[in-house]
Amino acid sequence: MNHLKKFQNQISLITTSFYLLSLAGVAGLTWYISRSNLPILFMIAVVVAFIILASWLFSYLTLALALKPLQMIWSAILHVAPEHNSVAPNLNDIKIGREMVESLTLQIYQFASQQDNEQLVQHRDSLVQASSVLSHMPLPIFVFNKQQLVTNASLKALEYCRIESSQLFGKPLFENLLLEFPNELTLESWLADVQDNKLTDSAYWERVRVRFKADNSLLHQCDVAAFYNRDNPSGTEVIVTLFDRTTQYNQDDQAMSFIALAVHELRTPLTILRGYIEVFEEELGDKLDDEMRGFMHKMQASANQLTSFVHNILNVARLEDDQLALHLSEENWQETVNEGIENMLLRAKILDKNITCEIEPNLPTVGIDKTSMYEVLNNILDNALKYSGETNDITLKTYKNSDGLIETTITDHGVGIPSSVLPNLFEKFYRNHRTRTQIGGTGLGLYLSKAIVTAHGGQIWASSKVDQGSTFGFTILPYDRLSSEMKAGDSDIVRQPHGWIKNHSLYRR
Amino acid sequence: MKPDTNALPGSGKKILCIEDEHFISELYVRALSKAGYDVTVVIDGEDGLNAILTDQYDIILLDIMLPTMTGLEVLKRLHSPETGKQLRGKLIITTNLEQSEQNRAEVEAQADGYIIKAEMTPRQVTEFVNQLG
Repeated sequence: MNHLKKFQNQISLITTSFYLLSLAGVAGLTWYISRSNLPILFMIAVVVAFIILASWLFSYLTLALALKPLQMIWSAILHVAPEHNSVAPNLNDIKIGREMVESLTLQIYQFASQQDNEQLVQHRDSLVQASSVLSHMPLPIFVFNKQQLVTNASLKALEYCRIESSQLFGKPLFENLLLEFPNELTLESWLADVQDNKLTDSAYWERVRVRFKADNSLLHQCDVAAFYNRDNPSGTEVIVTLFDRTTQYNQDDQAMSFIALAVHELRTPLTILRGYIEVFEEELGDKLDDEMRGFMHKMQASANQLTSFVHNILNVARLEDDQLALHLSEENWQETVNEGIENMLLRAKILDKNITCEIEPNLPTVGIDKTSMYEVLNNILDNALKYSGETNDITLKTYKNSDGLIETTITDHGVGIPSSVLPNLFEKFYRNHRTRTQIGGTGLGLYLSKAIVTAHGGQIWASSKVDQGSTFGFTILPYDRLSSEMKAGDSDIVRQPHGWIKNHSLYRR
Repeated sequence: MKPDTNALPGSGKKILCIEDEHFISELYVRALSKAGYDVTVVIDGEDGLNAILTDQYDIILLDIMLPTMTGLEVLKRLHSPETGKQLRGKLIITTNLEQSEQNRAEVEAQADGYIIKAEMTPRQVTEFVNQLG
């Protein structure tokens, strides 16, 4: 209040001084004019003009002096108002009432900063609360910002990764954590997609293998959930949670181990059987009559068939465990076909069937996993042998099709497949019910073949007419096309380089 | 008349076959001997490792599921610095054991070849060995 009083006194002093000065001016002017011989009317006009001018000047100065502090305070209020970005008033600009303005602006600033603090405290409290909830969640949770750097994590996450927060925070997650996804739909590819196309989204992956940089020998199997929210005001853009399923998935893996054990036990007698049959063939082949030689070939073909079957079981188990890995390399397709069907030719001979091969000359090289392709050829030919019925001729054709892919078809003229059954042919354990009792088989061969061909980037199909026979066909990519796809960054083949999933050129799962 | 053994691919070459399944080793010995190889059989991992460390073999066929010491342990010992011996011969894993891709790749990295026994007849194994030179 003292400052206001002082300001009032200052204004009163200035206006009184000015008033007295003006009076003196009028008196002086009147005295000066009265001494001259000017007309009376002119004298009155000059004095009145002087009084008007002095009054205007008086009121202007009074207003300017009295309003200046108001203007300053107004600027100060605007300065602290959140929706304005005006600059703070310069208090040096004011001479009259400076103390009052200083005192009032200071109070304005203090009041505003108190409000700021309250908001800040409130905000901080909610952050602390959120952070505390996050910290104590009994799950490994990672929070990223827009730059995909870890900004927060639960205590469980630190414990899980076996690292200190300083090693995790401010760094990309994959510097500490290697996530191997079962297919090309990875956290990274999802993030790239949502950042371009979505405001908010969530995703879930199963059977993700998690390794830690801190201890590479530990392998966890997790389900991973992720949430995305673009430009979230809190700065949190991505939240990733791991659900450890190691125990459950390991139990599944033990089932795989059981298969591995069973396969080992089956293979040992098979090795021996095939070995001794070979000895018989070598030592007795020339000495046996046709009937006995036929028996020997049947033994041999059956042992080979059993070997293929064991191989199929194992690969289906691998496929379902996401362990079926293909190592693609450049191969001559004609040679591959000829090598691949060698076993089948023996079996065809025993069954009195005739496999004719029509291979287009000068086919380009292909990008394949040779052993897996043998399986595809064997499985389809095996099917053709089984379902060719009374007919004898099976034709294998391979050529470059109009799309530039290498197409291989195998045609028999046997019992055929009803159209209602065709769509299910490539499903696991699916077999034509009509023929189940007559023809042996597991229903795994075509299922596996489809998985292998698809993983090669090709397609497999079947066409058939009942009692007229069936054609099974599949395509594979020429090697140059496969390698150019690789260079073009086909997401199927080329993996991202920093460890979300295995990075192996020409490596497909 | 005795065949000219010098003309055979395996003449003068020594093979150590570490295999506990007698029938399989019998078949391998027969097929490999016919190709001119001098084959020694041992039936457990420990004897196998001792044989590798004492004698010089050109080719070693090493099973994985072995008594006393597994083939993987043999491999590990051979590659440990304490063993201190440079393996001169070529080492081929012969197994029917199914392994994960990763384990298989790790084993392959320490060996010169890998054979699933059930997928090859003894004659094919011999051809495989011949290719090693």
